[in-house]
Order: sequence, then structure tokens, then C-alpha cells
Amino acid sequence: MSRTGKALLIVVPLAAGAAVAVKRRRAGTPVSRRNHVVTVYRPLSELESAPLPGTLKEIADETEISMRPAPGDRGTEIAVHIPEGSNVSDGDVRRALRETRSLLEAGDVLLPSGPPATETTALNRPLQAATRHGREGGLL
Amino acid sequence: MKALQWQGVNKLSVGTVPDPELRNPGDVIVKVTRTVTCGSDLHLIGGYIPFMEKGDVLGHEFLGEVVEVGPDVRNHRVGDRVVVSSFISCGNCWYCDQKLYSLCDNGNTNPVITETLWGQAPGGCFGYSHAMGGNAGSHAEYIRVPFADVGAFTVPEGVSDERALFASDSAATGWMGADLGGVKPGDVVAVWGAGAVGQMAARAAVLLGADRVIVIDRLDNRLRQVEQHIGAETINYESTDVAGELRERSGGRGPDVCIEAVGMEAHAPGPQFGYDQIKQQLRLQTDRPIAVREAIHACRKGGSVFVLGVYAGFVDKFPLGALMNKGLTVRGAQMHGQRYIPMLLDRMAKGEVTTEHLATHVMPLDQAPEGYRMFKDKKDDCVRAVFVP
Repeated sequence: MSRTGKALLIVVPLAAGAAVAVKRRRAGTPVSRRNHVVTVYRPLSELESAPLPGTLKEIADETEISMRPAPGDRGTEIAVHIPEGSNVSDGDVRRALRETRSLLEAGDVLLPSGPPATETTALNRPLQAATRHGREGGLL
Repeated sequence: MKALQWQGVNKLSVGTVPDPELRNPGDVIVKVTRTVTCGSDLHLIGGYIPFMEKGDVLGHEFLGEVVEVGPDVRNHRVGDRVVVSSFISCGNCWYCDQKLYSLCDNGNTNPVITETLWGQAPGGCFGYSHAMGGNAGSHAEYIRVPFADVGAFTVPEGVSDERALFASDSAATGWMGADLGGVKPGDVVAVWGAGAVGQMAARAAVLLGADRVIVIDRLDNRLRQVEQHIGAETINYESTDVAGELRERSGGRGPDVCIEAVGMEAHAPGPQFGYDQIKQQLRLQTDRPIAVREAIHACRKGGSVFVLGVYAGFVDKFPLGALMNKGLTVRGAQMHGQRYIPMLLDRMAKGEVTTEHLATHVMPLDQAPEGYRMFKDKKDDCVRAVFVP
């Protein structure tokens, strides 16, 4: 690989890490707060019959959670709004929605491989920072 | 345990890593007995998919013996000989219910990267970077297999390890290209790439009743394999005008279904290759889409193009005009292995799908770095290097 290629190999993960960091910082600002929504492939009646499991339950007191049936028999849409003054971040909500969906659908939340075989280097530090919060970022 | 590790761009070594552990109750631990190189690994090794960490274990196409079982596993016991789908899927989300297993909502522990890049995250994959979950790969003595009841399949007694190995990914990927590409009896099908996936796509097209199946590559040894083992016709693109030849062999219409099994590091004669190579090296595009462009141009009006080759991001000079004006359907996917592996094992038992010829080089895991060198450089007519841990 060319020197330019190697340089870009460093730059791309750094940029990805920076983007995640910026996103996480912005998560605390009210202007970025929109509803976070997932669709869970379980019927609304089932979800209403018992408290929601997992981390969503833990943030329920500081958020507004609503549910409605998804069209086309796709299950139930769960929407979470973070009210003004809440201590819950967008990342907390994304993680909670993903983990709760997995619990409801698969009965479990997949853990990463382990023990790790990798080493921390200057090159992969930004990537490791991003993946440590893998369920908190993204577009959900 | 021993494992093949990525140590940096184009640097591989066999080292000692911790043994895998059961992490979820649906996991099993598999003692790997056969694991094989894949062309898509070269994108990781070469740094084209920049989400690897020093020490990551490579490999996603494998077979082995169950040696440890989580408490929730129902379909497998210690001692089972299993082939495992390279994609990790829960089996219970909407995507899995639609049999789109590689799109599983719950199989990737790290959706942030792919969701940011592509809008939504596909499922996880073994040994395929932290964008696909950072799961340890199969080029090792042991591997943890999550959601084992969904992704691991017991190999029937009549199917050898050497044959069943390729059900894990190559054969399933190839079959998916023909199936979801819509191959029907009477079709003319063109396949770009005569590696293992391209050969398996061609074999699937033959078995699905295509009238003519034509495989395109530049390597004579691979094209000979196509003629001898797959029962398809061939074109060497270095000596033949592909578009003209395909038109002639399809009555002037163009192929009904075009399957691309090449991926982001495609080669081509002429200036197009130089153009794409320079843009890719400068990171002005992430992928070289040469075969996709050719497939779209060659395809008959109203035909179907299926992209099996792995692409990471953005391409230049994509022929959107041809796609739109010819009314093409373009589709792609990572492989939905769980959908096809049981059927493939049946066909392997009947001798309809054979794969032994693909394993041109079999070697101990200690020699895996050399195996990848041979595979990458196509040395000694290497089609696939199989490692025996």
C-alpha cells in the first residue's frame, strides 16, 4: 500500500472516532433531541402485558416511552422522548432500545467475543473508543 | 490457543491468543477442523476496510466439532460435526423471519460504524472487522459461535469435511446470487469471477435450470475448473470482448441475469483499471466497481444484476443511466447462510454440489500467512487455501 494509503488508513478511523465523539457531545444538547424509535418484532398486546425488560426499564422514569403497532405486521414501534432536564443521553436511549429489542426478540443481548486478542495501538485507539460505545452511537 | 492474527496492513502472523469462552447461553464453542481463505479477507488484510485492530483473528468460513455447549442450546451436543454460517443471526427478528439473515437486527454488537456508513447496520460476521461486530475469526483452534441453534448445522454423515466446509459461505453466497437474482429455467446467466463464490453461483444457476451459464475471469486454471466441475461455459476477459461475446451467446439480447462475484478489488485490461486503481489508492473512491459496471452494461433490458462481491463504500462512474433506461433490477446482499445451508448439505450429499476442487492448497494453520500470500498472488494456481488447525 502507498504512503498516502497508509496515511488515509489512519485518518479514516480517526475521523470516524471524532465523528462519534462529536455526536456523543452533541447528544447532551437539547437541539439534537428527537424521538428515538425502534421496531420490535413482537405484537403490541404482548409488550403491553408486562413491563418492558432490560435497560429501557431503567431509564423509563426519566424518559417518555410510547408504543404503537407497526404497519404490515412488523411488530411494535417503541418511541422514546427525552424531556427537558432529563439526565438520560441519546446514547443511553439508543443502547436501551437496542438491548430491549434484542431481549424481546432473541431473549438475550449478544455480548462481544472474548477474551480479546487485540492490542491497543496509536492507530486503533479511536476505533476502540468508538466500539466501546457501539450500541450508543449510530443513527437510531 | 493458536490463531492467525492481523498485525497491520499486509502483515499476518500466527500467534497465541486466549481460548474463547461461552459469553451467552445460546453459544457453543467449536474446535475448528477446517477453515478457508476468502477473497473478501484480502480487503481486510490490505486495509481497504479500515476497521481492524492489531491482533484480530481472521476467518469466517469453517467447519468443526462442538466441544462446549451453552445452557440454552437445544439443537447441538458435544461431539456434533457442524458447519457454521459466516453471518451471525438471532433467528427471531423481522429480518430473520423474512429469511434475510445477514440483515439481522441483533447479531452485531457494534452497529455504530455500519449504521453511520450505510444508514442501517447488517448482522455480525466472524473475523470480519469491528464494523461487523469484532467477532473472533475461525483461523484458530477454537471459535465461539453465538446463536448456535440458528447458525450451526450438523453435517450429514455422507458429506465429507472437505465438501461441507464450503457450505459455510462460498456455496451459500453463490446460491443466494442465483436465487435472489431470479434465475429461471431457460435463462442465460453470466457470472463475473471464477473464484469459489462465482463457481458456486454458476453451479446454482445450472441447477435452477438456466439454459446457458457463462463465467468470466482472466485466470485459465479457474476457467478450466468451471468447465470441468461446474458444467458452465467460460470467457477469458483478457482475450475476448466480453460484452460482444455475451451478446452473441444470448441471441443479441444480453444475459437475463448477471451475477457479480468479484468485489472491490476488481481487475480489468485497459485504462479503466488504472483509473479506478488510482482513485482507490487516493481514497477518492473506496471500491473498484469494474465488474458491476460491465454487468449493468451487458445485462438485457429488464434483466437482473446481483452484486455478490463485497463493497465497502463509494464508487465512481456508476452507470445509473443504463440501470434506469434499461429497466434493470439491481440487488445485493451479504449472504443469508441460514436460508441455504441445509438445502446445500442435502445437495452435497446427493453429489449435485461438489466443492473439493476449490481447496487447491491444504496446509496447517502455522502456514496460514504463506497460504494467504499464495491466495492473494494466485501462486501455483491457488483458488482457495484451506487451513487445518
